Amino acid sequence: VVLREGICPGLTEDFINALHSEDIKTVEDFVSCNPEELAQKCSLSYKALVAVRRVLLAQYTAFPVSGADLYQELLSSTAILSTGSPSLDKLLDSGLYTGEITELTGSPGSGKTQVCFSVAVNISHQLKQSVFYIDTKGGMCVNRLLQMLQTRTSNMEEQMEALQKIRVFRAFDVFSLLACLQHLRFNGLQQASVGGGSVKAVMVDSVSAVLSSMLGGKQNEGMSLLMQVAGELKMIAKDFNIAVLVTNHVTQDGNGCLKAGLGLSWSHVPRTRVLLQRVEIPGVLSSSLRTATLTKSSRQPCHLVEDFDLCNLSEERNSVTGKRKLESS
Amino acid sequence: MQRTVPSLPLAPSVKVKLLHAGFQLATDLTDMSPLQLCKAAGISQEEAVEVLQMLRCDTQSHQERAATESITALDLLHKEQAQGSIVTFSSRLDDVLGGGVPVGKTTEICGAPGIGKTQLCMQLAVDVQIPVCFGGLGGKALYIDTEGSFVVQRVADMAEAAVKHCTLLAEDTEQKQALEELTVEKVLSSFFLVRCHDYVELLAEVYLLPDFLAEHPEVRLVIIDSIAFPFRHDFEDLSQRTRLLNGLAQQLIQIATQHSVAVVLSNHMTTRLLNGQSKLVPSLGESWGHTATQRLILHWEGSKRLASLYKSPSQMEATIQYQITVQGFRDAPDKLRPTVELCAVSSLSGNHSKRPRMEDQS
Repeated sequence: VVLREGICPGLTEDFINALHSEDIKTVEDFVSCNPEELAQKCSLSYKALVAVRRVLLAQYTAFPVSGADLYQELLSSTAILSTGSPSLDKLLDSGLYTGEITELTGSPGSGKTQVCFSVAVNISHQLKQSVFYIDTKGGMCVNRLLQMLQTRTSNMEEQMEALQKIRVFRAFDVFSLLACLQHLRFNGLQQASVGGGSVKAVMVDSVSAVLSSMLGGKQNEGMSLLMQVAGELKMIAKDFNIAVLVTNHVTQDGNGCLKAGLGLSWSHVPRTRVLLQRVEIPGVLSSSLRTATLTKSSRQPCHLVEDFDLCNLSEERNSVTGKRKLESS
Repeated sequence: MQRTVPSLPLAPSVKVKLLHAGFQLATDLTDMSPLQLCKAAGISQEEAVEVLQMLRCDTQSHQERAATESITALDLLHKEQAQGSIVTFSSRLDDVLGGGVPVGKTTEICGAPGIGKTQLCMQLAVDVQIPVCFGGLGGKALYIDTEGSFVVQRVADMAEAAVKHCTLLAEDTEQKQALEELTVEKVLSSFFLVRCHDYVELLAEVYLLPDFLAEHPEVRLVIIDSIAFPFRHDFEDLSQRTRLLNGLAQQLIQIATQHSVAVVLSNHMTTRLLNGQSKLVPSLGESWGHTATQRLILHWEGSKRLASLYKSPSQMEATIQYQITVQGFRDAPDKLRPTVELCAVSSLSGNHSKRPRMEDQS
């Protein structure tokens, strides 16, 4: 933080100029210096230096919190949002957790956007909370949201009310995405909760579309931008108790196996990762069946597999699951 | 609106110097003069002026401002319903696509050589010009040809068939009036054709596209036939190719959304070897498959031509049969009915008569 006059009493312009002559420009530089030495070099009074230092430390330090307090806070503020699909809920240990980032990856056409739609519709209709949907690929199709709502309720008013609760943002490059996330963090989310109805979920579909063109080659900004996006998403999730759902693409590694895009650095960012795949049934050209595999989780053992049908996401596929698992393993 | 310095679209070297000097938020920079900034951060005068200009609210880039504006799904629904789609003259394909090729989204058409990708592209370029009272969009088309497979005589044939079709359908005076203006000459003159010889020209053309569309707001369709050709040969650095393609795709979807145009891309097929078996898959790699909003794969089955919708945010996957006739892209004849009716009965006003769909037995 830059040292400026007025950020604390006692910091006048002369004071700052004297400090500048010793090459101390930020608060960090100031508090890491020894006040005695500084008093001698700058000809400033020792008392004034110590007073300013105390005020700055009080203003800018982070304070430790005990584990017990943290646990209590977590219990009271975390909510679990059901995805609307019993199979996916089983995989995610009953749903999306607020305060965390969950990631969906899969090949094109594997159903990532459909699952995002289903979750958004479930949260806005069933749980009656607001959802923010950041679309980076143009895949948002409200007709499909309406179709999904129509299977849940035939009441037009309820459908329109649920659609009112979903807000769509469009950002097609990484700087627009960062502008959007920072706008949400600093203003948007507070405004939304003041207006009535809290925001419980933020979805970004997809994060890899804007980041993959910035990574690699001779570009040296890619990783920094990736980490900034990650930082913004995490801060939004933690500070506002929101469940963040992102989608990612897949690439093929050397052996032809599918792995999630954006590399190792991004793989540390989401808390939970799910891989969606098509089910290849010999003899049928295209089916709506998909499998979801848990590839990273801090709560469940990895490599759990669940089946679901894209057409009926709210139906549980119990009878077929046992057989499918045997076939796929 | 607060922004952190690292998230601003500035050159990385300038950002590093600003961060070193201790500037963390954009608000730290706003009340400084260029000279002060120069001294504080150690950057050149021009760079300082550039930074401060970028921060002034009125020069904030259009995209970034748009990104912070949101719209509720309800309002978006009304907007979506007002946007039309471009019919393909094959009512089965239109059903599968949900009315036709959607405006405001990118559609990718993949297929083996000779299956009819260029035919479909040319048909769409003609169909977008059908007047609004007949159920079309009444707009112009921009055709970016990278392969040199565009043939004007074929488009003239298709235009003639389309005009004849509309003549058969014309009922009320408004339609008859619109029909007088719809001639083959007018259709051919409402076409913008661009020939790109390599990927650099293609990238430049897409970069200039927003300005072109701002000057010609009646353009409703942009076709790139094909996007695979310039990128497939003579490209040594494959990772650079992926990056360029991803950037290109994002630019195209931004253009499609902002200017309300439909973007159609055609792609080739390549062979993938997996476990000793070969399979035909769309070319340009795995990550390219994620970039188009909708994907249509055209393939052969014996002597039949089939079209499968492989990826779509709103429509279910389905496969239908089609054929290419003298008039253009049409439905394949129904086996159940001996009299072949080439869509002359289906009205173009959006309510397609539901004919019994034949499920393909593979």
